[in-house]
Amino acid sequence: MNGSHDVIVVGAGPAGGEAALAVSGAGLRVALIDEGPAPGGQVWRAPRTAQAQVAAARDADGRQGQALRARLQEASVDLLAGAEVWDAGPGFVVQCLTEQGNRELQAPRLILATGAMERVLPFAGWTIPGVFGLAAATAIMKAEKTLPGKEIVIAGQGPLLIAVAAKALELGLRPRAIVDRAGRGDWLRAAPGFAALPMMLTRGAQWMARLAAARVPILRQSAIVAAGGDPVLDGVTVRHLPSGRQTEISADTLYIGNGLTPADELHRLLGAAQTRDRLRGGYRTEVDADQRTSVPGLYAAGDGAGVHGALPSVFQGQIAGLAAARDHGALSAEAFAEQSRPARRRLARARRFADASCRLMAFPEEDLAHMPPDCVVCRCEDVRRSDIDAAVAGGAADMNQLKHFTRLGMGPCQGRMCGLNAAGLLSPGGDLRFTPRAPVRPVSMDRLIGEFDYSDIPVPKPAPL
Amino acid sequence: MTQMTYDLAVIGGGIQGASVALFAAREGMRVVLFDQGALARQASGTNAGTLTMQMTRAALIPYALRAHEMWVKAPEWLGHDVGVVACDGLSLAFTEAEEEILSQRAEARSAAGAPIRLVSPQEAAGIEPGVNPAIRMASHCSVDGYANAYLTGLAYRRALAEAGVELREYTPVSGVSPSGRGYDIRSDGGGVAARQVVLAGGVWIEPMLKWLGIDLPIKTLINQLAVTERAAPVMRTVLGIASGLLSLKQYPHGTVVIGGGWQGVGDRASGTHRATAASAVGNARLAVHAIPALRHSRIVRIWTGFEAETADALPAVGPVPGHPGAWVIGSVHSGYTSAPYMARCLTQAILGQTPEMPLFPIDRLLPGQGPINERDRT
Repeated sequence: MNGSHDVIVVGAGPAGGEAALAVSGAGLRVALIDEGPAPGGQVWRAPRTAQAQVAAARDADGRQGQALRARLQEASVDLLAGAEVWDAGPGFVVQCLTEQGNRELQAPRLILATGAMERVLPFAGWTIPGVFGLAAATAIMKAEKTLPGKEIVIAGQGPLLIAVAAKALELGLRPRAIVDRAGRGDWLRAAPGFAALPMMLTRGAQWMARLAAARVPILRQSAIVAAGGDPVLDGVTVRHLPSGRQTEISADTLYIGNGLTPADELHRLLGAAQTRDRLRGGYRTEVDADQRTSVPGLYAAGDGAGVHGALPSVFQGQIAGLAAARDHGALSAEAFAEQSRPARRRLARARRFADASCRLMAFPEEDLAHMPPDCVVCRCEDVRRSDIDAAVAGGAADMNQLKHFTRLGMGPCQGRMCGLNAAGLLSPGGDLRFTPRAPVRPVSMDRLIGEFDYSDIPVPKPAPL
Repeated sequence: MTQMTYDLAVIGGGIQGASVALFAAREGMRVVLFDQGALARQASGTNAGTLTMQMTRAALIPYALRAHEMWVKAPEWLGHDVGVVACDGLSLAFTEAEEEILSQRAEARSAAGAPIRLVSPQEAAGIEPGVNPAIRMASHCSVDGYANAYLTGLAYRRALAEAGVELREYTPVSGVSPSGRGYDIRSDGGGVAARQVVLAGGVWIEPMLKWLGIDLPIKTLINQLAVTERAAPVMRTVLGIASGLLSLKQYPHGTVVIGGGWQGVGDRASGTHRATAASAVGNARLAVHAIPALRHSRIVRIWTGFEAETADALPAVGPVPGHPGAWVIGSVHSGYTSAPYMARCLTQAILGQTPEMPLFPIDRLLPGQGPINERDRT
């Protein structure tokens, strides 16, 4: 692991894993860093229990994950698993925390494949224990083959609703309801896009059939407007959006997600140009056809650069890896064109599927305005909608000011959960993102500083007296 | 190009400029305040908020003591809360060399009026139970404390509005020139005329003074800070070390701010700056060495901000040579601590009064060149 690398890849999911394999395949030295204990990322997450291993072998995502891990093991890729990247600077110098303390890696090329995180449209009671993310449900099931809860409700948007509900059924857990923002018409409009990948469409249809057979109610064009219970969840209020009719459902666990947003902290820290793009999760990083960002030597692939989903991520990762190898002089122009051609062709097809999926998952920005005044927006610092309104009335025009006025985003989630939601409440036109800052994840002081002698601290010369 | 004449135009909405604007408006002046961004979003909003004597230069102690008193009474004169907490301060020595620095500095600051005295490790541990027992000596100051620097912009915004200051944020000024009756100030949103002008642009007072033909080199420091997540109490004082390269305190809401002037990288021309990992690790090690319980906390944010410094590291506060009615305020070492008082003194001069305490005119920093007046004006 020590010694220099030609390319560093951050994130070992479908995009980063493939990127590292492509770089290594071109004969370059590559380091692949991931915060998880094993490669796979979220969608190809490595099973942790024996039961989950058995299940993974029968599941498409599980098998693809196993295949990626096997290929990485055989390839000459320096894998640094369980390492949290907390800073990246020009050059590129990447800092990560490992069991052995802080590690600094350096390479002239850096591929960011950092994946996505889930968004939730805040509603009254969304911070009550018993409310989980929808993507979190898939993560728990993949790793542990279990799902917390007895009376569960699955809510939000997009294909993940169906996937989570069907997998819950497999675990013997019949959801009390699926609450879907979309209507039948929205799904029908998505069908042609889904048909671009017949296998995926078939899988979805099988899930739907199982849910129908188990008579799991699907409440369409509906959303959770409140969750109640003290100290833990005991029920949710569902509103049928067109009619405004509300119903109560008793539940001890709610899984809810309103789409994904790129985990783009490193992209922003390094100054890569971005564009607002609702379909891609709020903002996407601008890349050329070979996944190069606006920063020379910096590449971005997968959902971290703009949400597309797992399959396009695979091909973007391959292209990014090959482009880095090409730019490094390890591939001729012809070899690059030749080797990247299949990925480009398959990417185009996967994109049609992805776009249909992304449209169903696009965050309902306009509904942020309907949040009740006492609704919590920043859960780390308990900042409510009314606090944000007061700050805006008091002159806060950008996100940094909003942070200073209210402490929104100053807690351990560093604004990842609340930032975009709060931005939706600010007057448009201002700078709607926090200044990017390291560490991109909270860092343990203990791991950061390691063991040291006081005399070894390079204390600068004293300030003037 | 200008319709109305202000009594005073202040360029730079940091704590120095905003305080001058506030005090002048309260004395009945018609004041306009410009900032290229939002109020107090550079050094004034991103510094560590330490209100300490133990990192203040000896020559500035008399100013800092008076400013400390103002900070503690901020609700009375500012009218709004910046989260000031007054508490004990300790500066630590872990080595023989540091003992020597500490004794020497404590003596100089004490001679300048700061209530600082050397204490034994046992006494220091009584004052700060969280301190590393390995210290050899500490200096104690009963006048110490901190503000919540990020609240500065909000507090001043309210106070300035109440005082009737016309606030022009996100309005970079592109030049200032004498008009015969005062100064013309050029900016994006059109110009204004003012009888007097104050240049209070932090590290940017160097380019600002060039508008008036003055060449005053200002060194740009890039101070780096870190803050932990909220945690149970681990300390109750403002803590430093003999060299001055650590400042540490825990806010009432539980976060611990770690600073001391470790350097990031960046430059004034582009206005950009960023933290370095090496400074983060070094600063964090120093912090944990001082308060061992900090080892179990997590850092959630590291940031940087500019600090301005003159060649002699003493303030640039006074008239602009050769330009009656033009003033400069900045480069005040420990500038956040001393700002309200420095601004009060300068405002007295602007009003034609004799300042309570002497200003720091910049003539001393312009060796042999004196006022350059009309030369190379933009």
